[in-house]
Amino acid sequence: MKNGLLAASRLFGAISTLALWLAGTGLVAMTVLVAYQVFMRYVVNASPPWTEGASIMIMSWFIFLGAAVGVREKFHMGFDVLLYALPDSAKPWLRGVSDVAIFAFAFGMIWYGLELAIRGWSVRIPVLGLPQTFTYLPIVVSGVLICLFVLERMALRLAGEPVDVETTEAAVSEA
Amino acid sequence: MEYWILFGTFGLLMVVGTPIAFSLGIASFATIVYLGRPPVVVFQQLNSGVSPFTLLAIPFFIFAGDLMMRGGIAARIIAFAGALVGHIRGGLGQVNVVASTLFGGISGSAVAEAAAVGGIMIPQMKARGYGADYAVNVTSMSALIALLLPPSHNMIIYSLSGGGRISIADLFTAGIIPGLMLALALMFTAYVVARRRGYPTEPFPGFAKTLQYLVISIPGLLLIAIIFGGVRSGIFTATESSCIAVIYAFLVTLLVYRTMSWSTFVHCVSGAVRTTAMVLFIIGAAASFGWLMAYLRVAPILTDMVGQLTSDPLMVLLLINVLLLLLGTFMDMGPLIIITTPIFLPMVSSFGVDPVHFGVIMILNLGIGLNTPPLGPVQFVAAAVGKISIWAAMRSVWPFYIAGIIVLGLVTYIPALSLWLPSLFR
Repeated sequence: MKNGLLAASRLFGAISTLALWLAGTGLVAMTVLVAYQVFMRYVVNASPPWTEGASIMIMSWFIFLGAAVGVREKFHMGFDVLLYALPDSAKPWLRGVSDVAIFAFAFGMIWYGLELAIRGWSVRIPVLGLPQTFTYLPIVVSGVLICLFVLERMALRLAGEPVDVETTEAAVSEA
Repeated sequence: MEYWILFGTFGLLMVVGTPIAFSLGIASFATIVYLGRPPVVVFQQLNSGVSPFTLLAIPFFIFAGDLMMRGGIAARIIAFAGALVGHIRGGLGQVNVVASTLFGGISGSAVAEAAAVGGIMIPQMKARGYGADYAVNVTSMSALIALLLPPSHNMIIYSLSGGGRISIADLFTAGIIPGLMLALALMFTAYVVARRRGYPTEPFPGFAKTLQYLVISIPGLLLIAIIFGGVRSGIFTATESSCIAVIYAFLVTLLVYRTMSWSTFVHCVSGAVRTTAMVLFIIGAAASFGWLMAYLRVAPILTDMVGQLTSDPLMVLLLINVLLLLLGTFMDMGPLIIITTPIFLPMVSSFGVDPVHFGVIMILNLGIGLNTPPLGPVQFVAAAVGKISIWAAMRSVWPFYIAGIIVLGLVTYIPALSLWLPSLFR
């Protein structure tokens, strides 16, 4: 059981890394798009109408993918004072409550995100011409990933894995 | 009742340590369900909150800062600063402040700056016999200069949180004098403390050498002109100039300095993605929270309450400053700007405070909060680089706090310090 769980955890790790790479590619693509827009506007004097909408679309993909990665890597900011003040044995309980809240919100992202995505199928995004579904899809995908990552952490916690141990190293390399 | 649900749920989740973005989202969700409105609004706002084109400037400036930090632009600027002020008492402390000021002019992130300048300066200072606590405190406090000098992405967050009508060019300009004042105050403090502790000076390398360091760092320093000149003159929008900053930093580190490798680039990209995803996800989640605060008229009600206490704008600013300093010790800057701007900005505006002036106050104030435990990310980074505990740094940080608070007081009560420079451009 535990071995299966750890194998699943490695798979989730790979998914998270993939999401991070996709998000990073998005950031680079966004840079190139806006640079192209600036070039066309100032040098060629013909601003392409679609770059602004396209880069916003890419940005929302990379934010929501990155946010899902953040749940797994625990880089989302919170207010951890109580966690330091209470004895270590309280930590899994508080983290457990947080995880339920994160799961609930992510479930909402899937449920209502899908509603928006389906409703948007017949609506076109101005200039880009794509269905509005694409605007809300990142929320759904991110919601699915967050749900998976939170369930993973809850399962590992119940199996007695040290998921709530803070690593200061991570915080520094983050900077 | 709806107020209790909104703020109670948010407060409760925050206390148990739920990440801010999710606390905001769940609190809005619960309130909207209570009000009998369709909850889908929360998720619609989650997306529309991150859709303004101006928002792109945030990932770009963070990305550019990462490229400059890891790509060796910071190191060259430090060498130049060393030649300029190393011979003053407490030489390396002075170098630290001046390097932070110059680097702050091209990067807007205090955390990136503490890592970039501190990573180079703190080991050097320790090797030259400076106390680790002194090195850490000078680094962490002078990193705040970056928040005030353009391009500060926190000012963009403030502008957006204030409804997007506050001019980013004005905010960028308004921060310059307060930023330089903070630099001078810190140099003075570094001097006084260094004298008392008997820290050494560095030999002046001569004009020829100084000139050489200047020439080497010019490609990096040119970014100041590109970003500030571009935005101020109105040639480029903030978003466009932030994108140019990325491309420029990339080309300089790749072609001129030849320090950019594939693995460094990957580090920069993934670092920038993590930081921006976190900040912008909070902005998205805060959109429905802000919408509810407006719907429930939180700001006007609080303004009335404050109005019954006092009618003196200076008193109101004092109250808000104390409150923000307190909040700043517990929470990070970005989220606090996002959450408190919609409440405080209408309040101070009704007392006649200029939104640009208030933005500078808020950023300097919350910046000081980045250096106070229990949540002081800049101080954490500097202390980690210096390999000392937060408490060891705290014991001798007081002179530097006092310098910061004095500058905050001056900036708060002399509006011209913020508003004079932007007024020249109108």
